[in-house]
Parts: sequence; C-alpha cells; structure tokens
Amino acid sequence: MSGHGITVAGYLALVAAGVVLEVAATRTKAPVPSLSDVLTRIMRTRTGRVGVLVAWAWLGLHFFSQ
Amino acid sequence: MDVPGIRQPIVIVLLLIAFFSAISGKPLDGLLMLLVAAGLAWEAARVSSREAAAAPPGGPGSLPQPGLSAAVSAEPAAAPSAQVSRPLRGWQTATATAALVAGGVVYAVIVGSFTRFSWPATMAVVGLATLVVVIGWQGPLHPRPDPGPLPMPGTALWGGVLLAGGLWELAALAQQPSLDDTSYAHPTLSALTDPVLTGHFGRSLALAVWLLIGGYLVRR
Repeated sequence: MSGHGITVAGYLALVAAGVVLEVAATRTKAPVPSLSDVLTRIMRTRTGRVGVLVAWAWLGLHFFSQ
Repeated sequence: MDVPGIRQPIVIVLLLIAFFSAISGKPLDGLLMLLVAAGLAWEAARVSSREAAAAPPGGPGSLPQPGLSAAVSAEPAAAPSAQVSRPLRGWQTATATAALVAGGVVYAVIVGSFTRFSWPATMAVVGLATLVVVIGWQGPLHPRPDPGPLPMPGTALWGGVLLAGGLWELAALAQQPSLDDTSYAHPTLSALTDPVLTGHFGRSLALAVWLLIGGYLVRR
C-alpha cells in the first residue's frame, strides 16, 4: 500500500473507531459513554465549554478564513 | 506579577494554538485564539482575587494557591442565560427552529459562494464564530441534567481516539515538504478536503455541516 493509502486508511480507521465507540455506548451495556455525554460533561465548566466552542470555531477559520 | 489564569491548561493550549497559527500564516486565527486565552486567563484571575478577598484572614483559605484556586473557581459554568431560560411554546419553538434552519441555509449558500480565504469569507466565518463563542461564554442556553461521572475506561477510549487523530494529523503535517506545501503521500485533512472545498456546492455543504455542529454544541 502506498504512503497515501496508509495515511487515508489511518483517518478512516479513526472514524471507524469513533463509530464503534458510539454504537457500543448507545446499543450495548458496555461502560462507554456516548459522545454526547462526553461533550455535555466537558461543557459543564466554563473553560471546557469555551474550549470546545473555540475548537469548533477554529475549524471554520482554518478551512475558510485567511 | 502572578497571573494564575495563565497556568490553566486550556489557556496554555490556546496560547500554543495562537502561536502555531500565527507562524503558519494564519495571523487572524492566532489573534482570535490569543483573545480567547486572554479572556479566560483574565476571568480566572478575577475570580481568584475575589475569592482571596472573601477568604477569612488567617484561615486556611488565605494561603495563596493561585493555580488551584483558578482551576477550581473557574470550573462552575455560568447559569443558563436568563433571557432564554423561559421555555418556549410549541409553535414558538417550531417557528424559531424554522427561522434558524432557513438562516443557516442562506448563510451556507451565500458564504459558500465566496472564494475560500477571501476577505468576505473570512469576515462571515469570523463574525459567526465570535458570536457563537460569546453566546457560549455566558453558559448553556438551557439547563441540562448532569450525566454524572463518566465510566473511566470508555472515556479514556474517546480520549485515545481524539489523541490518535491529532497525532496522525501532526505526523502527516510533519512529513510535508513545508507548512504551505501539501504532500500527496502524507495528506493532512486540509489537503484531503481541498478538492471538495474548491466548488461552491462543496463549500456550502461544508459550511452547513459546520453550522449544524456549532448549533449542536452551543445547546449543550
């Protein structure tokens, strides 16, 4: 497999891992919180809340702004 | 001068992002991250000094513990915004939701028509991002039940996926010929999304997804 293929496969594997965790959280009794619960927990504090929102803002800035 | 807020991890992370954004040709990103870091540090310092002033003289709380004080005192999030705490009726909720969706679609179509990295696109994205962060700074829009302590193994797995994603992206970035030149063999997420974001439809779609995520997060 080429370097390009390996890099892309790595990204896909990470997405798949996220999907597996979410399915495990919502469809099984595994001790895994859903992404929603993780975000809610993180965003209960002001620093966590602002941190998550800034990460979202940064994505928009990174892909669209100068 | 002792500024306790600067020692908060989130402030340090934001300062690092500001620095690396600035040196990689994104000064506006860097400036915004710097402003948020300064705001959080200032607030932590303000809360810390208020606690110190309220502590009884000579008591255990009078000992200076700036890092701990700032970390703990800045933790409780603000109460839900007062102006939106009253529950809306059914038709009001439906109207507000329809207006937000329509506004989001119009925004995505119009801003998506702007050339990437142009000043109109920059102003539109920076303006909305700033607005959402300012709204989020006030606290959650609606009170939410505390999900309670999260199971540690599963939470660690989520953290591991996030960390692995960051490291994988960083590894791809490090293998580029330079910060500005992408590598075909080791593409970053930016390089992989470039073909999608060159067209109006792709940009509008990406903006719509970004808006949906932002709307979801600001309601957390």
